[in-house]
Amino acid sequence: MKPTGTDLLLPDGTTPAAVLDTLSTRLSLREGPAGARDRRFYDTFDGLLRAAGLAFVHESGRSVLLAIDDGSEQAAMPAPNPPEHVFVADLEPGPLRDALAGIIEVRALLPLVRIHGVQHAFGVLDDSAKTVVRLALEEPAVLGSHGRRVTLAARIRLGAVRGYDKELRRVLDTLVDDLGLRPAERSELDDAVLATGASPGGVSSKVDVALARDERSDVAVASILRRLAEVMECNLPGVIAEVDPEFLHDYRVAVRRSRAVMKELKRVFPAEQLARFRVELRWLQQVTGPARDLDVYVLDFDELRSGLAEPARSDLEPLLRVLRARRALAHRDMVRALRSDRAMELRAQWPAFLPELVTLPAEGRPDAMRPIGELTGERIVKVYRRMIKMGRAIDDSSPPESLHELRKQGKELRYLLELFGLPLHPGDVVKPLVRSLKALQDTLGRHQDREVQIATLRSLRDDVVTLRGGAGALMAMGVLIEHLGEDERSARAEFADRFASFAAKEQRALVRETFTS
Amino acid sequence: MSRVLATYNIKGGVGKTSAAVNLAYLAARSGASTLLWDLDPQGASTYLFRVRPKVAGGVRKLVRRRSDVEKLIKGTDYEHLDLLPADFSYRHMDLALDAAKHSTDRLARVLEPLRREYEYIFLDCPPSISLVSENVFEAADALLVPIIPATLSSRTFEQLEALVRGGPQVLAFFSMVEVRKSLHREVMAQLRAAHVTMLGAAIPSADEVERMGVQRAVVAEIAPGGRAAIAYEALWWDVRRRLAVARGVG
Repeated sequence: MKPTGTDLLLPDGTTPAAVLDTLSTRLSLREGPAGARDRRFYDTFDGLLRAAGLAFVHESGRSVLLAIDDGSEQAAMPAPNPPEHVFVADLEPGPLRDALAGIIEVRALLPLVRIHGVQHAFGVLDDSAKTVVRLALEEPAVLGSHGRRVTLAARIRLGAVRGYDKELRRVLDTLVDDLGLRPAERSELDDAVLATGASPGGVSSKVDVALARDERSDVAVASILRRLAEVMECNLPGVIAEVDPEFLHDYRVAVRRSRAVMKELKRVFPAEQLARFRVELRWLQQVTGPARDLDVYVLDFDELRSGLAEPARSDLEPLLRVLRARRALAHRDMVRALRSDRAMELRAQWPAFLPELVTLPAEGRPDAMRPIGELTGERIVKVYRRMIKMGRAIDDSSPPESLHELRKQGKELRYLLELFGLPLHPGDVVKPLVRSLKALQDTLGRHQDREVQIATLRSLRDDVVTLRGGAGALMAMGVLIEHLGEDERSARAEFADRFASFAAKEQRALVRETFTS
Repeated sequence: MSRVLATYNIKGGVGKTSAAVNLAYLAARSGASTLLWDLDPQGASTYLFRVRPKVAGGVRKLVRRRSDVEKLIKGTDYEHLDLLPADFSYRHMDLALDAAKHSTDRLARVLEPLRREYEYIFLDCPPSISLVSENVFEAADALLVPIIPATLSSRTFEQLEALVRGGPQVLAFFSMVEVRKSLHREVMAQLRAAHVTMLGAAIPSADEVERMGVQRAVVAEIAPGGRAAIAYEALWWDVRRRLAVARGVG
């Protein structure tokens, strides 16, 4: 197969100067400007841009979004100084903001790597001395850890000139077939990131642990929990530094998933440690809760407000100020808790306990040695059936708490399915089950969120009314509470349908058949 | 938002092509994706960029939007600067336009898909008053009008303003100026006093402008830092400022 990439590496043992000498005997070249380049690349913590095939770079007073495969500019804006970080919300409206918004959402673009280097530009000319292909020789280097300069492999980059595709293919053939250059397997950016000791693609919060159905349950559970502890640890600095709200979100999901595993598969643990760590993780969940709730409130504020007509919409401004102030306080309290001795001890002891778990005697841990496929299948069926029972008992006269309890069970089922269902059980059963569960959970979630939002709004009334414009804000909040109440009722009305498809006869039969075998 | 700028004058030999080529180069050099459409069948700017003056399917298919215009575009020696070449069939552009429906906005329609891709589109127009120029007035956001400071130039300017009234913004500038000639100095002073829309920058009659055709390059390459190169930079700055003011930004 012909290489499609346009980044080429020099043959081993050759110098850029030697390659250029040979090149100039084969191709008609015009030397363009040579110059130093200083590029700073950015991406989100979890590498969202790279995953989308893009790179964000600041160079010579401009911020540019590039396609990684051919280096083409997707959008750009002037930026005199390299930014510390970039949020979509802080960018001027325009193509760059539009292009980023759908990809990074609320995440921050953080400095990733800085590539220095000298670039020699050339035009490959045709018979009328017209440039038909652009060629650049780059000798890049990156500043590694401790300020160490690491030289990267020199590259020749071919740039297409519009309307001269045949010429580009011809030049590529000459370079590869005749001169022995080889297409680069990695982008220059990935090369640079690797040279700094980091991994291209950023740090993922995904739990991708390979499990076998007949594996010992305690071994499987320990590997899942170790990965979740790793996710918590990776996200913690970003939570404390308040880089962007996704750090806290991912951190809390990992805590909640760990708690669900301990609760549902409790008989693989020794009772004493189980009780202790469950208390501790529950505490982590609690101390991070208010900050997350207020993050969501501030993030959703525009959407919340968009349901109101003017002038009520602008009247809500004092509410946003109160929410922001509360959010700052909640974050301060959370950071204090996360830095406390209690949290530090947990950070050390929890990941140390997990590898030990599998060495502990099996007495008092009746599920420890059972095959994980069988054990999780049993639990999935059990929680599913419990949900069916609870859901069927709900009618129009049931109190809201009955829906909240069902939602809690739903979360546990969802984590069991995501962590153990997909790796261990047939995907064609698990995936539709997760889908109908998600639909049900969305409805239950909306029902509960609205209720919490209404309660929060009510609790903020005293704070808001003392501010300038407070009276107007209070009126607007009244309208908002009404809207939220309507939405809560509509979620409640949706419940019956959503539950019916989740509890459909065929699905029940499929669950029984798949997970009890 | 994309801006369509046409270098236009009823008279020939006043520096339209030089202005189109050098201004398009400056736009591209600032990083803006830029297209130059050489509408003149003589193909002077196509020649300057060393591109073959050939449009597959000719003018008839092009104005009827039967050709894929994006495939007709050629990259130039300069990054971010592309060319839609001239073709000898453009000498019959009037007839082709006349034969098509909506004969006065055909060029605007051809440009429509390109306005998303290019920040600036320059039209290098043939000298005439014809259906082609009517189309140019329809398509352009502004006309860049080179004026030689000689007798009758004031009349040319007034005729043009009358012609496009209500149409694109008219941005006139002095071209091929010889400051040693007292006639040039006098005419410039008169015109500037009479027409506030006259741009401040003036392009001198300079050797490097004439050499463009020989060296097939922009003045910034032939004589970087020379009088003409500086004048075009000043002109481009002036044009952008006027565009911003018209848009209510400046």
